[in-house]
Amino acid sequence: MKIYDKITPEGTRDLLFEQCDARRGLERKLSGFFEQRGFQEVMTPGLEFYDVFYSNSNYFPQETMYKLTDGKGRLLVMRPDCTIPIARLAATKLSGLPKPIRLYYDQPVYRNNPAMKGRSDELLQMGVELIGAGSHKGDLEMLEMAVRCLQSCGLAQFRIEICSIGFFKALIQQLEAGDEEKEQIRELIESKNYAALNDFLDRFLPSKAAEALKKLPGLFGGNEVFQQAALLLDGEDFPRLLDELRYIYDGLAALGLGDQVMIDLGLVNQAEYYTGIIFRGYVEGIGEPVISGGRYDSLMGDFGEPQPATGFAVNVDLVAKALLQAGEMKTKKTDLLIFCEPGCEVKAFGELERLTSLGLKCEHAVFETLDEASAYARARKIGKIRFVGEETRDILTEGEMAR
Amino acid sequence: MRPLRIALTKGRLENKTIELLEAIGYDCSQVREKGRKLILPVPNGGFEVVLAKAADVITYVESGVCDLGVLGKDTIMEMGHSFYELLDLGFGRCKFALAAPRNRDFYAGYQTKVIATKYPNVARQFFEQKGMDVELVKIEGSVELAPILGLADGIVDIVETGTTLKENGLEVVEDVAPVSARLIVNIASLKLRKLAIETLIDRLECGIGHKNVEREINLTVETD
Repeated sequence: MKIYDKITPEGTRDLLFEQCDARRGLERKLSGFFEQRGFQEVMTPGLEFYDVFYSNSNYFPQETMYKLTDGKGRLLVMRPDCTIPIARLAATKLSGLPKPIRLYYDQPVYRNNPAMKGRSDELLQMGVELIGAGSHKGDLEMLEMAVRCLQSCGLAQFRIEICSIGFFKALIQQLEAGDEEKEQIRELIESKNYAALNDFLDRFLPSKAAEALKKLPGLFGGNEVFQQAALLLDGEDFPRLLDELRYIYDGLAALGLGDQVMIDLGLVNQAEYYTGIIFRGYVEGIGEPVISGGRYDSLMGDFGEPQPATGFAVNVDLVAKALLQAGEMKTKKTDLLIFCEPGCEVKAFGELERLTSLGLKCEHAVFETLDEASAYARARKIGKIRFVGEETRDILTEGEMAR
Repeated sequence: MRPLRIALTKGRLENKTIELLEAIGYDCSQVREKGRKLILPVPNGGFEVVLAKAADVITYVESGVCDLGVLGKDTIMEMGHSFYELLDLGFGRCKFALAAPRNRDFYAGYQTKVIATKYPNVARQFFEQKGMDVELVKIEGSVELAPILGLADGIVDIVETGTTLKENGLEVVEDVAPVSARLIVNIASLKLRKLAIETLIDRLECGIGHKNVEREINLTVETD
């Protein structure tokens, strides 16, 4: 029974016209920006060995990856992420280059999302990796670029939230808890479940670390968070961590972005993967982050070439969706339909060539009669027909509304 | 910017939430007298209310089309989540429990137990943590029927007073987890509209009694 030949698989969809325009427009804008800042594009294969994502470090839950086997029975996956393959690439092929290495990418990633939540299993990611830069300047640059990306997309309302995973890691280490308990605490902090977090941490009292962990998800807001955190967090690591975060915050404020930047010390997603400053960006109208990034100093070491690294990724599909919703996309309409009398085909193609080189959008009429061409022009709202015969003249399409 | 939108679970939770909102001074008349309307404004609060089934509250809040939601912890535990769970509203208290026919040792015997439940994920996790293999059977309602008819050895279900269990010859073998109504918030919404959402949460906390209720509540619409 043939039903699957007319529909696309769950989690995938076709993109048409303005949707493509929105996507391509963003790709052009962002790649232009990345190139101007000295980043070079790399492309990794859509199919990679499973081991790349799930051996030394399992940053990717195996349930989310699309798996297949090759001719020799080895397990492959469809790329669920771009940063990890690029680390593989940089560690094996680029180790000789002067540091820092600046790379960017523009590739789809594939994830097996839970069914029927309206999520796409195929999403276009663009992002940058700054490999070999361990300094604060590198972190600040990533944030400045992330903000510029959001601004250049033309979306008025956006927010960037920043954090350092160091706070959580330093505190959780001080706690005498097993791995499972630590993971539970992390989940409760991530979901800002204050009630359950308090209850769970009570078993570790008395403990300064437990008290501080209770407060962590509530430490979010603007400048005031620094004072609150300084009072709460006791220990040798914290002044340095606060200074690092403050450096970023002040830097962004000095760039005029004070209103758009927030701090959230409870941002503990992917705590395994990140090692320092982490951040996410949000835009009005989209219910999840459109940009996410941070420092990941351990990843390159997994591939045999220890190097500090930082970067971020943009979910192009979500940003394109926001632009379409905001009515920011206007596809250019066809200006002219070129119709010719029999025998004048060559002349018509000449006209087509001439007019398109002047920047006009022209269509070649494949119809035999002028009537058919006029009907088509009306249906497609093309304002003018250029009639090419013994003489050439313009015919205005009847019933055409002023554009 | 569109007003804040809150999804409430239809039924008892809806009524309790409206009571709470009214107690702290919000005009919920249009929510009570909804007629055919689906989006119900709360004029002096600057937000609107939408009514849905519990599982749909999660769907709407996760996608961001609703900023906040009220639903039971039972649905949150069953469906998993990517949102902030900021407040325990205190009402709708009950619990998940494992129940089985009275006067029988549920754990005895080598055969794999069959468990009937409306909440397969909650049940699965409970038994996984015990390291116990079970066969789960999904039942949509009146789960007590399954052991009575001989389909299941036990059930994992919501228990309030325990009367239904008693009347059907069942008893609680073990508690699984407490349940109550929770307030959830979309991640991006909390970041983009922090002031408005925190104001609302503060007032709800007053209403629940976490803070001193004597404070004068100024009902102006906050904008970010």
